[in-house]
Amino acid sequence: MNRRNFLQSSCQLCLLGFIGAATTSILDGCVAASSIYKTNVKNNEISVPLNLLNGQKVQIISAPETDFDIAVRTEPNGTYKAFLLSCTHHENPLNVVGNGFLCPLHGSQFDFEGNVRKGPASLPLTQYKTHVANGNLFITITA
Amino acid sequence: MPLLSPYSPIFMKGFKVMAVLTASFFCVTRPFAQTRTNAQQLVLGTSEDSLFSGAAKNKTVISGYGMVTYQRDMVQKKSMANLERAVLFVGHQFNNKISFFSELEIENGLVAGDGTSKGEISMEQAFLKFNLNRRQYLIAGLFTPRIGIINENHLPVNYNGVERPLVEQLIIPSTWRELGDGSYGTSSLLPITYSVAIVNGLNSDNFKHGDGLRSGMSEGSQATANNLAITAALQYPINDFRFQVSGYAGGTVGLSPRGADSLNLQSGTFGTPIYLGEGDVQWSHDAFSAKALGVVINYPKAGTINTAYATNVPKQMWGAYAELGYDWMFNSNSGKQFITFARVEKLDMNSKIPENGIIDGTLNQMNVIAGITYLPIPNIAIKADIRLLHTGAQNPNLIINPPPNQLPYKQNQQFINLGIGYAF
Repeated sequence: MNRRNFLQSSCQLCLLGFIGAATTSILDGCVAASSIYKTNVKNNEISVPLNLLNGQKVQIISAPETDFDIAVRTEPNGTYKAFLLSCTHHENPLNVVGNGFLCPLHGSQFDFEGNVRKGPASLPLTQYKTHVANGNLFITITA
Repeated sequence: MPLLSPYSPIFMKGFKVMAVLTASFFCVTRPFAQTRTNAQQLVLGTSEDSLFSGAAKNKTVISGYGMVTYQRDMVQKKSMANLERAVLFVGHQFNNKISFFSELEIENGLVAGDGTSKGEISMEQAFLKFNLNRRQYLIAGLFTPRIGIINENHLPVNYNGVERPLVEQLIIPSTWRELGDGSYGTSSLLPITYSVAIVNGLNSDNFKHGDGLRSGMSEGSQATANNLAITAALQYPINDFRFQVSGYAGGTVGLSPRGADSLNLQSGTFGTPIYLGEGDVQWSHDAFSAKALGVVINYPKAGTINTAYATNVPKQMWGAYAELGYDWMFNSNSGKQFITFARVEKLDMNSKIPENGIIDGTLNQMNVIAGITYLPIPNIAIKADIRLLHTGAQNPNLIINPPPNQLPYKQNQQFINLGIGYAF
């Protein structure tokens, strides 16, 4: 097999594998984040109905009292984490992508634990405390 | 036979082993949380922090990125070390709604007034950002439009390889920046991010053979503004994928109507237009990552430019690449990343030429790059790779007065690249 044939065969194999993985993943039917839930901050807390979070990998919460949206991530063990969607580099709003959060300004990437995966950001995302009560998730918004 | 010749048995064996290992590793592991890294950010706060965002209403941020490289040309047997770029970001937040972002770049380490250095000082970006709401904003100034992957995400920690992908240097000329206004946003109903911008057009007066669009960029310096361009992009993340399509259409004649008429060129806002269409997909799952991109540029009236300026620009260029990477330290819980990657790139900078054009086989290129990217922390990248380049044959009609000692053109070339990059 000469070099050209080997490269062509390898590329075809990789492309087939990639298409297969893409098709399977897309047919899975889940999107990275659902539409945005709008609410208000009351007594330094945001309340989100738990049934809104069922089946959602990430739910975006928008409250006029906060400068940025908040992402609620449902962990595999059923607990919840809430992150401020503000890039810790230059405080640009973050986008939710399949494997975390992405800042379009300079390309900083954060995983779903809020930790930096790629710079230039060096600080993890601001995380808020959460607790569950009466069928709601409460996010405590503190400085 | 040189060790690193693409035909050497040792290299072929190594390449096959890497390809088989990468393709056959199907283990999907649980993601582990990464440890926190120490902050090294300088913030000059000028007012009280906001209670809910942790952000000061008015503050200045200084940051930046840079890259030092070493390249060994195995055919020419020449090496070069270079401070490729050192970029300073200065950003200032005036209030909740208005902020300023800038990037000042020094390329190749030295700019000397006597013209002996090959360095360059330029503004990569300088724009004002106006937040309409938390998901939509306007920008005005000098910025890099959303075309391709690298144009916006061009920091050395954002891509594999010492060199940026060749398709995104030669076809999409990263970092492509122009003056204009843009509207950016994310839909509140669907996870779609959009951008649309109007910028000054490319200047065909400066187009050079073999330089693609790069020589037509004004980079914010006395840009011709009789001709304008529209650029737009849509991004759609779904599961582990992120899809993007982008386009560009703009006029390339910035002359006055009289000047254009004298050269038989179509002037006006979108006169003598050039069109670009691009699509890409990025995928990341646990330790695996992959990306693929394709771009086509059409310049229907390239023939009139060749006639007007005695140059040799093509009617069509295209490029595509695919990359696969694996982070061997993904499960180490150390915060470090050790990525092995391979990338194949194909481009042709003169896939179609006008009747008065001259084909240049050397602009039809295939690149294969394989290497490693080590990130001890997310802000530092240590890189090493090998690049194999294969081009078409040189066209003797394009060789004018060759020196008597000129070596024959080599269609197969190999490069070893080393680099260290930082971003903060």
